[in-house]
Amino acid sequence: MKRGVIAATALVLLILPLLLPAFRVGQVTKWIPLALAAMGLNLLTGYNGQISVGHGALYGLGAYATALTVTEWGVPYLVAIVLSAVVCFFAGVLVGLPALRIKGLYLALVTLAVATLFPQVIEQFSSVTGGSSGLSVTSEQMVRGKLRPSPIRFDPPEWTGLAKDQWKYYWFLAVAAVCVVVVANLVRSRVGRSMIAIRDNEIAAEVNGVNVSAVKVFTFGVSAALAGIGGALLALSDAFVSSLSFTVTISLYFLVAVVVGGAASISGPLIGAVFYGIFIDIVTPTLPESIEKATPLILGAVLIVLMLVAPGGIVGLFNKLMTKRRHRLSTDSGSATQ
Amino acid sequence: MSEFVSYVAIGLGNGAVYAMIAMGLVVIYRSTGLLNFAQGEIAMFTTFLVWTFTEVGLPLGLALLAGMVAGFLVGAVVHQIVIRPVGDPHEKPLAVVIVTIGLFLGFNSLAQLIWGTDQKIIPKLFGDGTFMLGEAEIGWQKVGALAVLGVEALLFWLLFTKTKLGLAMRSVASNPESSALVGVPITRVLMIGWGLAAALGAVAGTFMAPNSALDANLMQLPLIYGFAAVTLGGFDSFVGAVVGGLAVGVLTDVAPKYLSVFEKMPLAPAFILILVVLLVRPQGLFGSKKVSRV
Repeated sequence: MKRGVIAATALVLLILPLLLPAFRVGQVTKWIPLALAAMGLNLLTGYNGQISVGHGALYGLGAYATALTVTEWGVPYLVAIVLSAVVCFFAGVLVGLPALRIKGLYLALVTLAVATLFPQVIEQFSSVTGGSSGLSVTSEQMVRGKLRPSPIRFDPPEWTGLAKDQWKYYWFLAVAAVCVVVVANLVRSRVGRSMIAIRDNEIAAEVNGVNVSAVKVFTFGVSAALAGIGGALLALSDAFVSSLSFTVTISLYFLVAVVVGGAASISGPLIGAVFYGIFIDIVTPTLPESIEKATPLILGAVLIVLMLVAPGGIVGLFNKLMTKRRHRLSTDSGSATQ
Repeated sequence: MSEFVSYVAIGLGNGAVYAMIAMGLVVIYRSTGLLNFAQGEIAMFTTFLVWTFTEVGLPLGLALLAGMVAGFLVGAVVHQIVIRPVGDPHEKPLAVVIVTIGLFLGFNSLAQLIWGTDQKIIPKLFGDGTFMLGEAEIGWQKVGALAVLGVEALLFWLLFTKTKLGLAMRSVASNPESSALVGVPITRVLMIGWGLAAALGAVAGTFMAPNSALDANLMQLPLIYGFAAVTLGGFDSFVGAVVGGLAVGVLTDVAPKYLSVFEKMPLAPAFILILVVLLVRPQGLFGSKKVSRV
């Protein structure tokens, strides 16, 4: 059953861009960076129990790392993404070290401060980053027979016969797929089980031989690296970065995606990101103008209600439903045989 | 030198506002053990209420009082509807963070929905006048902020040490179960705590707004400064909130003037302060040390 769902989802994701109009493909492509960052946050918060309200800063760091390496050094996109992941991994480790002593609500406080600080840091170093007026991600391209820097593009190879948007979508999807496979294997590994053990009872985990500090710091690093990859994709997608894209609210939206989708599951944050994307890109534009601004209000309300009624998010609700059904089926068949 | 004095004066004036936010955070932390990430946004919202009262013709002073009453109601309602059902913050920190962040998003959006995205003007409560201290020019508004902070601190001290309600609030903070057994209406006491915090927010916002202009992002930075203040002073200490607020105000106004590294990021010194205090002395200057049984 589970394999079937995965195969069906993969199939839908693969044929989706062939069915949707170009602008929708573009919108769906932009959900992928968000989904990756949410997946990273979930690894930290859902699986390991460390709360971060500051992943927007790591997302931003990844975006700037890619933007600068592509523009300044002309590295290939894939290399830039890997560099972003590495930079963010170390940044995550750096944040993870004080997090060994600062826990729970206080860690949320520190990370919130990091998220608020990030745009100011970008402003401070605006000679490199472009500040709030932004930075175009450019590469040397042939323009009318001359090599000159111009905004990056995703040109499909001719044999594919794909449009630009579709090619970009598949390209992003491939990066995301690699990340999903890595994370899915990670959480099922020894390290993954240690993460969960630490979340559930740190002392018991330590007594059982888990190296708590190492696992926590490593989780922070991997989580940050995923956020960085998300940010890298965002920079490549927009071919533009600006401090205005990385305000506090972006960090809050990652949390929304994790909680709405369902924390501590692989599919949860992905579903949450899709939910957020559908809400912002497809539902909101159909609303009358007077309540369009209410979008964050509705998201906030959904967040609170879900936390109170169904802390497991969409995935949690679905699992509950399936367990109930299975239970009913088994009791039905049980009574039939008697 | 006169420059330095005026920077410090501005810092103290802003610090008074951070101290007010910090006091609101302490009221809530002491009674519910919760760091209220929505404190800033609730304060912004109640400041818009103050603005609305001035629009219907009330003078600013009266509008502020009316805004405080309205803010009290907002805080009380938020507690009853949203916070009460969540449960113990230290058992489920994630749930509490998520819910207050839901409030953060909600109030921010609600303010834009009701009052639009145009910036509103709130005049200075103590006017534009200045006086000379030596060679430094100092605004009455800053002195006014400090005076109002002093009055608030005095009222809170009286409330917590001299009244029955204050006694009830202290007992709920120290041991909710035993307080309930001796007949303290816990829910109502907590509700009043949230109301008081929101009312303080209206004052803080009214002093903050003339510095820039009133819009939905008014309190996002001051909230972090408020958090820096409670971290420095100790999460459960009113004295700490006042001292911490003033210290953070001076630090974040003076440091960027002299250290070019912080020129465009006044938040950075406050952030470093939060990090260092939490690492080195997590209970802050005046807070009580937490001891837990394992």
